[in-house]
Amino acid sequence: MLRTTILSAAAISCTLIATSVQADTSDKRIALSNNYAGNSWRQAMLQSWDKVTGAAVADGIVAEAPAFTTAENQVTEQAAQIQNLILQGYDAIVINAASPDALNGAVKQACDAGIVVVSFDGIVTEPCAYRIAVDFAGMGAVQIDYLAEHLPGGGNLLEIRGLAGVFVDDEISAGIHSGVAKHNQFNIVGSVHGNWAQDVAQKAVAGILPSLPEIAAVVTQGGDGYGAAQAFAAAGRPTPLIIMGNRHDELTWWKEQKDANGYETMSVSIAPGVSTLAFWVAQMVLDGADVPHDMIVPFLSISQDTLEESLANTQAGGVANVEYSLEDAKAVVAGK
Amino acid sequence: MNSLPIFKRLVEKPWIWSYVGMIVVWLATISYTGGKGGADVLTAALSFATFTVIVGIGQMFVITTGPGNVDLSIPATISFSGAVAMKIMDGSNSMLLIGLIVSLGCGLVVGVFNYMLIRVLRIPPIIATLSSSFLVLSTAIAYGRGLKIKPPGLLAEFATAQIYGVPILAIVVAGFAVVMGVVLNRTIYGRSVLAIGQNMRAAWLAGIKVEKIRFATYVLSAVLAALCGFVLAGFSGGASLNMGEEYLLGSIAVVVIGGTSVAGGKANVPGIWGAAMFMFLLVTMLNTFGASAGVRLILTGLIIVTVITIAGGDKPQR
Repeated sequence: MLRTTILSAAAISCTLIATSVQADTSDKRIALSNNYAGNSWRQAMLQSWDKVTGAAVADGIVAEAPAFTTAENQVTEQAAQIQNLILQGYDAIVINAASPDALNGAVKQACDAGIVVVSFDGIVTEPCAYRIAVDFAGMGAVQIDYLAEHLPGGGNLLEIRGLAGVFVDDEISAGIHSGVAKHNQFNIVGSVHGNWAQDVAQKAVAGILPSLPEIAAVVTQGGDGYGAAQAFAAAGRPTPLIIMGNRHDELTWWKEQKDANGYETMSVSIAPGVSTLAFWVAQMVLDGADVPHDMIVPFLSISQDTLEESLANTQAGGVANVEYSLEDAKAVVAGK
Repeated sequence: MNSLPIFKRLVEKPWIWSYVGMIVVWLATISYTGGKGGADVLTAALSFATFTVIVGIGQMFVITTGPGNVDLSIPATISFSGAVAMKIMDGSNSMLLIGLIVSLGCGLVVGVFNYMLIRVLRIPPIIATLSSSFLVLSTAIAYGRGLKIKPPGLLAEFATAQIYGVPILAIVVAGFAVVMGVVLNRTIYGRSVLAIGQNMRAAWLAGIKVEKIRFATYVLSAVLAALCGFVLAGFSGGASLNMGEEYLLGSIAVVVIGGTSVAGGKANVPGIWGAAMFMFLLVTMLNTFGASAGVRLILTGLIIVTVITIAGGDKPQR
């Protein structure tokens, strides 16, 4: 559903772009400043960027839109990179930031130089920048709502968190805990950090599992579901309801279980294509559109019914994704 | 009467403290859970310690060759070798041997390259292996694009199989550790590594082919990292770009906690097993206690410092 509407929206917007929006930003240059590329989500994010901006450049909507990734995922390095981008005279910088506040100095310099700064995923708090934030707390809460519907009797939960110290982890976890407070038939009996990585999650879950009572469900933050499933299998314990993320291995495992024994779960994640939404927002700002500084992008949810479709559209080894069009960006800017 | 000297001899072993730490942490965990799951925790610890031990042994030989020698390219090599091997095998059992050979070949190339940087370009090992790790990881990214391919069924079975709760892979690696222990203490190569670590110039004057030995050591470390990537990908259902990440600090920590001297020239293999088990059980214990991430990291740091201090504190330095 979502996909088809987006595809059709994309098709419509393409024809619109070709006729109307052309002139104003055709000489503008937009750079992507990215802090990390070492996992499949970031790889998909960069690929989506290349695909959508490549088409935009070919259509003459912008002059160029290169992506730059720092090697070490460090704030100082990204700050230096942003300063370089300022010197190179880009008209807009789209940022996936290594830190929400430590880059504010560099971001302010960019704003002062008249550069439009749009941050997404890893957002920056500097007021002059635009932020495309994800409703992370909602991502956590919706999991417990789903569980309340499917496991009305409640039970013990194992929580797999993300990377300690990152605000995304705190927000999703806060959402999960608020959900548990609302549906008090659930009880979180264990919590481990899986760093959003399948192998780390597997290791952490395998360690804590022997000390835990029977687990009814595993709540996650994405990227960790398959590892949790493997840890349960290795320990010879019954597989609980594990909330999945959007990686191909997670969806594949889910599909196998669904075919074998009617296993039911859901998937929540952030589409890596959110980078393309940030691109369009930057383009709109350059085009003179009135854009609020804080925007919320919906998270990507896959249900039992849309699993096959999502899996078919996900490249082997990649992540389920949505690329955004200018129309989608306009909808987000308008607050839906 | 005989027991006292044995006890005294044991206390003098530098590796004993990692085992003491391991047992204390394990007892603390199972007393918290009321004895529940004690054996299962050990099984899990053995499964995951195995991978740390494989890379830890390589790192130990490198560190033992003297101050400044360390291999920081291990995580990148793990990811690279895993990604290449999984792609070449493409889930087919018949390609298993070829995949293993290619994987070890990846390690060989990285090891030779590391040594070239160190020897020919005279770059300090820390910088050389760190920069080569960027190149290796970038190659892995360009090659695999984050692709996750399932390992061949046979490899996955072998990597996860257990007999009476003991992972088969752990038994194999324990056997390998014994062999490497003999190599370290009883062969010309191992003795040369120790001699170089104690004093490179003296070793050279004594007729040891210093550079040949260092070359072999860096290659050994990289090949073991590649082997780790191969079995780790089999164990965890495919290779991922960041699967080597936690083995950077992990490989160095198990070497040091295991009682090997960071200054070089003094090494032991048993301590790596003890330390790898200790590290896993420590995290498990803190997870079981329900400690928050901040408390967990602080305690992990404090406990590691404590174990290292006890293990190495009261020894007279030369």
